Amino acid sequence: MAEHHPASDNKHKSALTSGASYSGNGRSSAAVADPGSDAGPAGGGGLSGGLSQPAGWQSLLSFTILFLAWLAGFSARLFAVIRFESIIHEFDPWFNYRATHHLTTNGFYEFLNWFDERAWYPLGRIVGGTVYPGLMVTAGLIHYVLNLLHVTVHIRDVCVFLAPVFSGLTSISTFLLTKELWNQGAGLMAACFIAIVPGYISRSVAGSFDNEGIAIFALQFTYYLWVKSVKTGSVFWSIGCCLSYFYMVSAWGGYVFIINLIPLHVFVLLLMQRFSKRVYIAYSTFYIIGLVLSMQIPFVGFQPIRTSEHMAAAGVFVLLQVYAFLQYLKDRLTKQEFQTLFFLGVSLAAGAVFLSVIYLTYTGYIAPWSGRFYSLWDTGTFPLKYVLALYAISAVYFAGVMVRLMLTLTPVVCMLSAVAFSSVFEHYLGDDMKRQSPPLEDSSDEDDRKNAGNLYDKAGKVRKHVSEQEKAEEGLGPNIKSIVTMLMLMLLMMFAVHCTWVTSNAYSSPSVVLASYNNDGSRNILDDFREAYYWLRQNTDEHARVMSWWDYGYQIAGMANRTTLVDNNTWNNSHIALVGKAMSSNETAAYDIMRSLDVDYVLIIFGGVIGYSGDDINKFLWMVRIAEGEHPRDIRESDYFTPQGEFRVDKAGSPTLLNCLMYKMSYYRFGEMQLDFRTPPGFDRTRNAEIGNKDIKLKHLEEAFTSEHWLVRIYKVKKPENRDRVEHKLRGADTTKQKYTSKKTSKRKRGYIKNKLPFRKGKKTTKKSL
Amino acid sequence: RASLILAACLLLLATAGLEVSADGLVNEEVKRTVDLGSHLAKITAEIVLSNQGNSAVHSFLLAVEPDLAPHLAYIGASVKGDEEEDGTLELQKASTPGQSGIFYKVQLPSSLAAGAQVKAKVEMTLSHVLKPFPTHITQAERQLVVFQGNHYMYSPYPTRSQTTRVRLASKTVETYTKLGNPSKNDEIIEYGPFRDVAPFSEDTMKIHYENNSPFLTISSIVRTIEVSHWGNIAVEETIDLRHTGAVLKGPFSRYDYQRQSDSGISSVKSFKTILPASAQDVYYRDEIGNISTSHLQVLDDSVEVEVRPRFPLFGGWKTHYIIGYNLPSYEYLYTLGDQYALKMRLVDHVYDDQVIDSLTVKIILPEGARNIHVDTPYKIDRMPNQLHYTYLDTFGRPVLIATKNNLVEHHIQDVVVHYNFNRILMLQEPLLVVAAFYILFFTVIIYVRLDFAITKDPAAEVRMKVASITEQVLTLVNKRLGLFRHMDEVVNRYKQSRDTGALNSGRKTLEADHRALTVEITSLQARLKAEGSDLAEKVAEVQKLDGQVKELVSRSCQEAERLVAGKVKKEAYIESEKTLTAKRQELVGRIDSLLDAL
Repeated sequence: MAEHHPASDNKHKSALTSGASYSGNGRSSAAVADPGSDAGPAGGGGLSGGLSQPAGWQSLLSFTILFLAWLAGFSARLFAVIRFESIIHEFDPWFNYRATHHLTTNGFYEFLNWFDERAWYPLGRIVGGTVYPGLMVTAGLIHYVLNLLHVTVHIRDVCVFLAPVFSGLTSISTFLLTKELWNQGAGLMAACFIAIVPGYISRSVAGSFDNEGIAIFALQFTYYLWVKSVKTGSVFWSIGCCLSYFYMVSAWGGYVFIINLIPLHVFVLLLMQRFSKRVYIAYSTFYIIGLVLSMQIPFVGFQPIRTSEHMAAAGVFVLLQVYAFLQYLKDRLTKQEFQTLFFLGVSLAAGAVFLSVIYLTYTGYIAPWSGRFYSLWDTGTFPLKYVLALYAISAVYFAGVMVRLMLTLTPVVCMLSAVAFSSVFEHYLGDDMKRQSPPLEDSSDEDDRKNAGNLYDKAGKVRKHVSEQEKAEEGLGPNIKSIVTMLMLMLLMMFAVHCTWVTSNAYSSPSVVLASYNNDGSRNILDDFREAYYWLRQNTDEHARVMSWWDYGYQIAGMANRTTLVDNNTWNNSHIALVGKAMSSNETAAYDIMRSLDVDYVLIIFGGVIGYSGDDINKFLWMVRIAEGEHPRDIRESDYFTPQGEFRVDKAGSPTLLNCLMYKMSYYRFGEMQLDFRTPPGFDRTRNAEIGNKDIKLKHLEEAFTSEHWLVRIYKVKKPENRDRVEHKLRGADTTKQKYTSKKTSKRKRGYIKNKLPFRKGKKTTKKSL
Repeated sequence: RASLILAACLLLLATAGLEVSADGLVNEEVKRTVDLGSHLAKITAEIVLSNQGNSAVHSFLLAVEPDLAPHLAYIGASVKGDEEEDGTLELQKASTPGQSGIFYKVQLPSSLAAGAQVKAKVEMTLSHVLKPFPTHITQAERQLVVFQGNHYMYSPYPTRSQTTRVRLASKTVETYTKLGNPSKNDEIIEYGPFRDVAPFSEDTMKIHYENNSPFLTISSIVRTIEVSHWGNIAVEETIDLRHTGAVLKGPFSRYDYQRQSDSGISSVKSFKTILPASAQDVYYRDEIGNISTSHLQVLDDSVEVEVRPRFPLFGGWKTHYIIGYNLPSYEYLYTLGDQYALKMRLVDHVYDDQVIDSLTVKIILPEGARNIHVDTPYKIDRMPNQLHYTYLDTFGRPVLIATKNNLVEHHIQDVVVHYNFNRILMLQEPLLVVAAFYILFFTVIIYVRLDFAITKDPAAEVRMKVASITEQVLTLVNKRLGLFRHMDEVVNRYKQSRDTGALNSGRKTLEADHRALTVEITSLQARLKAEGSDLAEKVAEVQKLDGQVKELVSRSCQEAERLVAGKVKKEAYIESEKTLTAKRQELVGRIDSLLDAL
């Protein structure tokens, strides 16, 4: 039966893909030509059976490849879960997790109206209105549905595994998009690429519960639906595109990328005189419904009609209407009339749009253009597959502007390379089985490769039958072909290995839990962060306010469940500057700030004991700079440097630094600590220096908790005392006098005026005993 | 006035004492041991009870002082027979009018005749009776506690002679009451002997001493036991733990804690939890994930988990964690037909000398369990049953819930749950899965097979029709070409065997099959034409070519006949055969190319 499969493949290929010049029936003719074959009549029956399937081997193969891509993508993202545990990573995901938790416990409307009084104390944060809710709603919905089906999964696990699951959806939507833009083979290849490409994995490993994880899927799917709607010109696909766009808007701020790329596409289509009714229908529907839908997200609100990031879309919409109207007139009017009208109309419209934009910008209805959007318009004209090209080029621009937007570049790079690989394989593998195998077989998958090999063997018999044609078509020898193919395969394999390696090494650390390896390969887990956060959660007052640098805000809120002053949603710079100022001032000044902010605890990260480089002392200059930005009179960055302009924590360091709160808290009692015998006490392993201020006394703070490896230190801010503490010792008559007299036993004593108690000289003891 | 009342009370007391002894029972000798070495007070009393009344007695009373009564976690009594056999006795709560405190009536195994004696042993465990004093200490200080008890054994019977031995946690004692000039030897204080103590005598014994043993208290524990008939019992304990010793005052210095061994001496770094020997897949975590600071040791008769909270527990600090494991059900689940019995510990070991303030046990039975009946080892408060839904449940699993306060190690005892379960119900879950997949695949099949478009696309339909007809044509043409090859073989065979009959029959079948196929193809061609496809012409051409091929075949057949008949020379035959084959090859090639174009 195996003999018939490729034939049926062929049949479907020819039925499905238009423009395939080599619709092959080689297998059946082989059966005819080969007298030794006994597959005559019987084979024919099987053939007809296989052929009559509407969705046959090709769909099965695509399905298998996509499934495997999903599986590979999913498992590649599980390193962190296997090595550590099912845990939320890093910083932002902790907020998303907390928000999702809030959503699942309190319901959707409570979530939309959520005012988080535990963040940005005393300001609070309106979470519902300052968040893209797509991620939380997706996770919450999955959790809800699963629980409805009595699949009792904890919301944390849903959150942890959401991104890997969505990576599968991303590869499917990438497949669909590439298939629309190029062909199925390239599509499958692109799906495999995007499943394992590190650029995307970096934001979507298990535990990295972040917007990008689902947004890339939404992005690809929106583009797919857009291409589909332009191709068909049907409102159905356009509405689908709008819904997908709506999902994208709800998920990530990167939706701006779509709302600029699609108009750009339409614009280029217009420039290239490729206007058609389908484009008109697709874009008009998309713009109007997409606009209305996007404004339903509270965080987006009226931005789509007020900021210039969205103006390109509006402009293209107007342009398209005018263009369509002119097309309509063109049919009705003579050429002369039309030309006049055209120029008049165009100049008037251009003037009106220009003036209104200027006016609106001037009056402040539209925010001015941000720089990166100018660059988008420099793209010239492109061949038919311009969506891909536009996508690629704009993504490159974005990535250039902001490294984090590298993410938008990743899918398109995958698609382009898939196209390239697919074409190469079509050429170089296509020698004999060009008639046999559709390019589908050329994708990178292993199983698929084997399949192609089988075909190759089979096809060998046919060669004599069709060889003349083949030779005319391709002037390449089989050796070159096989060499190139091998090279390509090696490249792909190396790519897969490289992706796995990068994922495993660079992107699979939760960063909440640290691991170190001993010489014998055994692993030490440093769980200091959670140790300290959990201490805060269990052993401080429920409403205690914790001051820390903003990096740890989300983690404190998520893991310790305590009120924070600043967090990773850095919306209020002056508040952050105030915290920075407290950290960089001396203890007394800091105490005033902390008192005014009702701070109960201060949390800092200190890596000096274990040599953790991401600690607060290394971040300290940023605190100083931000504080200086808002309080230039109190904080000056230069004060924290040595006269030589160095940032040093040892004896040569600037006195301001050595006495500021952050320094004191980091190194409190560290000066007594000797880590090993080769180094002096108080040797900071991170900065490789012996600290300069070893005798640190805290007056207004007391150490409340220090984690096992000193990574996290928490200080309690003391309440002011009822009576002011007197710095010097109280003047007790006995002690001072005795000291005094003992000192002044010389003859000068007699002349001392203030000595009012001369009787003490000799009689004191007897008197006391009496 | 007050003294008057007091005197009256004393009088009453004395008369009451006399009245009780009317029962005839007297504590001949009492050896009391008060163990204060941990954070519990364990009081053991060995009593020689004699019946000095006139009639036999079947039971006697135990009493607990009113001050200590609320802290009583466990009380048990046993009788020591002659052969050192311990018989634990049944206790029943009783009340004695006019006396404060709580009383237990102990049923003797055999009645105690008048004048006879019996040796009884009473064990009591009291929780939260050691009060830290001072209540707040710094990290460097040691923990001092105060115990307030009774010098005498609180008993409804007069006592002839008694001694009390107090075992402390350390040698360091600040103060202790000095009734009867007790002797102190290291960590042991011995009181007594006291002679002829009246019933219900109380005299406060107060000991203030150093006790750095871990003052851990489980403020609440929820123990969930989930039984699956697929062979697993999952146990999960959610524990709230608190250090109830002297509260830490001032800073916690990690430096001191790491450098000085006696810094924070009363704090708790870790403790051992002993799990059943067959426990597998042990996990230890809390709300924010796995607690990585624990060790598991598998021993022959148990599994030991070294539970280390995320942070050391100082006085007043608390923590919360979840520990869970799986057990094979064959060790705990007994069955007889439809009847099942689950025998498991109601509460298990968490740490040595544990104190549990509040226990909630949830036993989740399989879906469909009926006639549930619970045998508890001691009295425990049952809550109304609930339903629990988890994987593949439809009508919910019954959950038995019970609570109890103030438990200690003595409460680690088995509970037996009897229930009925129909084995057929085991199939329900796999069938559900099967049904779900069936529905899924069926839906996909329906979706793929049927056309759900609301608009009709005639062109596409025609195209599909044409495609299917073309495929049939292809098959038939291939079959037909196969016939010719078959004929070739027949001819070859004929050339060797010279069997004209075989040739003729072969020719006949060829003719018949060929005609049938040609007719079929023609009808398909007609259908193609009806669909308006231009492929019909190509098919017609194929037919025409096929006719020629057929002619060639029959000619080669004739040639072969003539060769066999000797009418042609072999060379000439080969020559003509060659040309014929070439022609045929060419025609077949053309047909192929036509088929390709189809």
